[in-house]
Amino acid sequence: MAFLSKKHLSRRTFLHGVGVTLALPLLDSMVPAATALAQTAAKARTRFGAIYFPHGAIMKRWIPATTGAGFELSEILQPLAPHHAQVNVVSGLRHALAYGSGATANHNRSAAAFLSGAFAKTGAKAYLGVTADQIVAQKLGQDTPLPSLEVMIEEPSLNCGDGLSCSYRDTISWQGPGSPLPMQNNPQVVFERLFGDGSNDNERRARRKQSLSLLDSVMGEAAALQKTLPASDRARMDQYLTDVREIERRIQKSGEQLGEDLAVPNAPTGVPRDVEEHIKLMYDLQALAWQAEITRVSTMLMCKELSNAVYPKSGIRDAFHTLSHHSGVQENIDRFTQLNRYHVGLFTYFLDKLKATPDGDGTLLDHSLVLYGSGMSDGNSHNHTDLPIVIAGGASGRLTGGRHIATQKDTPMANLLAALLVTVGVQTDHFGDSTGVLAL
Amino acid sequence: MRLLPFVTVWAAAFAIVQGSALIGDAQAPAPARPARAADAPAARRPASPAPARAQAPEPTGAAAGPSAERAFVSQYCATCHSERVKSGGLVLDAAGADHVGADAAVWEKAVRKIRTGMMPPSGALRPDRAKLDAFATAMEARLDAANPPGAHPETPALHRLNRTEYANAIRDLLALDVDVKTLLPQDDSSEGFDNLAEALNVSPSLIQGYVGAAMKISRRAVGDRSLVPAQVTYSAPPQFAHDKHVEGLPLGTRGGMLVQHTFPLDAEYEFTVTGGPGGGGGAGAPRIDVTLDGAPLVVQNPRTFRQTVTAGPHTLGLALVDRARGAGVDDAYSDFRVDSAFTPGGAVGTVTITGPFKPSGAGDTPSRQRIFLCRPAAAAEEAPCARRILGNMARRAYRRPATAAEVDTLMAFYQEGRGQGDFELGIQQGLARILVAPSFLYRSEPEPAGVPSGRTYRIGDLALASRLSFFLWSSIPDETLLDLAEKGRLSQPAVLAQQVRRMLADPKADALVTNFAGQWLYLRELATVQTDARNFDDNLRQAFRRETELLFGSIVRDDRPLLELLTADYTFLDERLARHYGVPNVFGSYFRRVSLPADSPRRGILGQGSMLTVTSVATRTSPVARGKWILENLLGTPVPQPPPGVEINLEADPKAEKPTTLRQRLEMHRKNPVCASCHKIMDPMGFALENFDLVGTWREAEAGWPIDATGQLADGTPLKGPADLRAAVLSRSDMFMTVATEKLMTYALGRPVHYNDMATVRAIVRDAARRDNRFSALVLGIVESAPFRQRIKKS
Repeated sequence: MAFLSKKHLSRRTFLHGVGVTLALPLLDSMVPAATALAQTAAKARTRFGAIYFPHGAIMKRWIPATTGAGFELSEILQPLAPHHAQVNVVSGLRHALAYGSGATANHNRSAAAFLSGAFAKTGAKAYLGVTADQIVAQKLGQDTPLPSLEVMIEEPSLNCGDGLSCSYRDTISWQGPGSPLPMQNNPQVVFERLFGDGSNDNERRARRKQSLSLLDSVMGEAAALQKTLPASDRARMDQYLTDVREIERRIQKSGEQLGEDLAVPNAPTGVPRDVEEHIKLMYDLQALAWQAEITRVSTMLMCKELSNAVYPKSGIRDAFHTLSHHSGVQENIDRFTQLNRYHVGLFTYFLDKLKATPDGDGTLLDHSLVLYGSGMSDGNSHNHTDLPIVIAGGASGRLTGGRHIATQKDTPMANLLAALLVTVGVQTDHFGDSTGVLAL
Repeated sequence: MRLLPFVTVWAAAFAIVQGSALIGDAQAPAPARPARAADAPAARRPASPAPARAQAPEPTGAAAGPSAERAFVSQYCATCHSERVKSGGLVLDAAGADHVGADAAVWEKAVRKIRTGMMPPSGALRPDRAKLDAFATAMEARLDAANPPGAHPETPALHRLNRTEYANAIRDLLALDVDVKTLLPQDDSSEGFDNLAEALNVSPSLIQGYVGAAMKISRRAVGDRSLVPAQVTYSAPPQFAHDKHVEGLPLGTRGGMLVQHTFPLDAEYEFTVTGGPGGGGGAGAPRIDVTLDGAPLVVQNPRTFRQTVTAGPHTLGLALVDRARGAGVDDAYSDFRVDSAFTPGGAVGTVTITGPFKPSGAGDTPSRQRIFLCRPAAAAEEAPCARRILGNMARRAYRRPATAAEVDTLMAFYQEGRGQGDFELGIQQGLARILVAPSFLYRSEPEPAGVPSGRTYRIGDLALASRLSFFLWSSIPDETLLDLAEKGRLSQPAVLAQQVRRMLADPKADALVTNFAGQWLYLRELATVQTDARNFDDNLRQAFRRETELLFGSIVRDDRPLLELLTADYTFLDERLARHYGVPNVFGSYFRRVSLPADSPRRGILGQGSMLTVTSVATRTSPVARGKWILENLLGTPVPQPPPGVEINLEADPKAEKPTTLRQRLEMHRKNPVCASCHKIMDPMGFALENFDLVGTWREAEAGWPIDATGQLADGTPLKGPADLRAAVLSRSDMFMTVATEKLMTYALGRPVHYNDMATVRAIVRDAARRDNRFSALVLGIVESAPFRQRIKKS
């Protein structure tokens, strides 16, 4: 038996399974390299991030015992202690539209509703609603090379059950009701999205120029092709044309912004084998993108709904989804608690990173608003009431931290999403299925 | 005699159009499948012309008075599925059995429950199998009459190439293998497949991916002489054991790696080889034997060396020469996995290739041979030669002749590049433009002029060539197909059948194995399986996948009956897998066909490690997941996830006084009526496979208890062990063939198969049965069906 990394026609002697990686050192080496932009930026702008985890949490050990300022961190949230002053726990929220017939649907709809406050429709074509991060991107992302960045850790799903599109499970970012944004799990590809293709500034400039003339030419061809298409397909071509124009705009933008003064760090090396390393690397890349203001908005699917991922470094050998159905058995609850806490610890790694990064007159964490949470509350019973939600960062002075905000029971999660929009400067009194704007 | 009137009626009813010309009568080329029309009683066909999409009227003669079917529904179904009781949320009106067209979707589901033996449930009043089957057959005939084959050639949406198709197209167009995961974002899956038109959206990151990929691929294909050195590292998979010979490496060596790498230029490259974790190259480490394309490479230090290599794909072999451990090691006492606690002295963990250094040219790569049809000797020859090269590439990429205006556009890009550099740079930039063209990235099927809106028409030969090649090869048509299509000969029935057979025998039909079977049978999920089984390593993971792929591949290429997926009295093994299965006398690292005795539990997919492992969790088997896999993939009866709030955690309670078996814990499903409704169907199927552990090792006991592989299916059939389960599934082989056809048709059309396609599906299944269920019969049935050959004009 033998194995190879690349697709090849003759499969008699070759098997797949080797990861191809562009090997160069990464992680911390990136950070000092990419400081130029943030320092030259006239004024620090707020960055917005949202991180999703599936299967809910042991809420009894998540919700802090005390409310208001100076609350005591719960067992699961303990890793956040170093950032207590810049963290708010919000309890009592509910995603009513995450409920749906069938348990597979219930999982898929949890991820779908998380940032949309909308109901995932069945059928081969996905239909949901625009997500909060994309509204923020419209506000904060139009003068950066990338309006937003979407990343995940796992491979896309193959079969999502109950007549639901896999997009509901595989992304939490929707540009429009019918436009899910694919999330990228390969750090190397994310890196190239951020910095472009090329080994030096001359090459990058030449390639930007070639990209622009290709896009320009394609636009004409697509418009001509559209005339020959059935009416039902013209909308699909419209979307294509819109996205072509958007990429044109972005490339022009990055041409203006990624000048010669930006030292591009070394590219990461494909998908790390170790899941913890993978998650940390994705956090690194988001911090880096924010720091260099290549984008100010990012979302991350730390793990997909229904995933049976195992996190060896958590000390728990159980598969994530299976363990979430703890059946009320104490040992299972204890192990699931430990896993929840481990994931919060990884999130804290991101906050550490943001806090350690100078940005304008403060740190990146001072100028960020980060949502960490799930669309499910108790994974054992699949409910969406009393969701596990944390918001971190100072939002450029607009958010006071260190509080446990206990909302009235069953307050729509969309009320918080609306409040987050207002916090970053989007004037709105409504989002998704909100009934108001939560006071933060 | 019966054929002619039917053809006339049918052609008129559904307005079959060839190309842009309306077919008015039966003298024109026959609509699809006249033979089938002759097989079916005329009474079941629509009696009068009707608009294509309207509900066809149902036969009146056969349904006069209360029918046997209506009586059946009253007697066996209506008690529970009544307005009052509404079991499963379903109400079946007995009178509706005589008018199934009004509620065809519901009746299709109801009939399937009967076909799979799930209804009526055990314990309820239940006629014998013959009566149930007769009812199902009669109902299917009614459903077929209500929505006859070809009545709904629903048109898939504008189809974008998915990632796999894109990579295969690049391979066939430019003789270049690309790692597409690093070039394009993931595609969305729906209905279990990643090639559904509706699900293949665009996004800004996709467009960015296309542009970036076009530039990278064109540089690589032409050869970029300005390339600066870069590094690529290949790693051995975790848990890969280096104990035995690896197929493709020199005999007498053990372990190692075989890497296929495309070298960008004729140049020097640096190779660095590291051992696996804990298995570095310290004192006493075995020698590494290096080969390039199978020929020995003499290097001073095989762990780091520089070597001149010509541009293009080469296979680098790194094998371990180890006299001390080369043979005679007792596997039971050694764990050669690269990340195990005990590692032998030396392994090959990674190989890093850095370069190019001192490049001497772009070389003579397969890609350049493919691209450069001509080489200009003088400046005046450049533009005509470029035109020829780009016109040829565009034709293959767009799957049709490129127009003069299109070639003009490409030439503008050529001129741009020529102005910046030389002829080759011009070709490179023209090529990049082809690779971002919507005509390349989208499978557009332009509508013919002159066909009225709402009418059905036959797709042209060029569209047919693309549909065929994306179905069977997941790639663009080859020269033969394009040529036949351009000449208008591809749609001739004899030519088409011959081409389908040719395509199935081509190595590119491997796409059906990796993409279709890989998704249908969950083989792709093997890559991410995590298991605590001690006898599992990556070699076994690869062998599991290989075995099932070889079985399916043999069915495809040797045109064997698809039922052999369940019954094959042979399988494909290498020594590692044979040891795992306890099959004697299989030695060596290569896979070969091995006959299995009649009592072998390894016959068919239900005994294969691939299926048994992807349906297990990290710590144990999951009879539930195995039952669910069988119901969904072999019997077409999806099972819902458990309702919220119920226990699904089945780990043993460490504090229990007595150890319990998984089966004892699963018995809880029977006690709770909410659980029982599904689990009494799923669990017995899984229990019958309990002699296979979480990685398919045969076992007689678990936790000190003998394995209990007995059970009773929903229809009362008693089971004891895998042979009984296989027989039970086979007793419903018609259902298996129906499901296989549905899946294959979903994959072929790139759209979901709906209830009103079921008449087409059943007709294909019936025809295939007459041809021994050979794989080509299924494929031809789909290729000749109305949904594959026709569209409805929408504008």
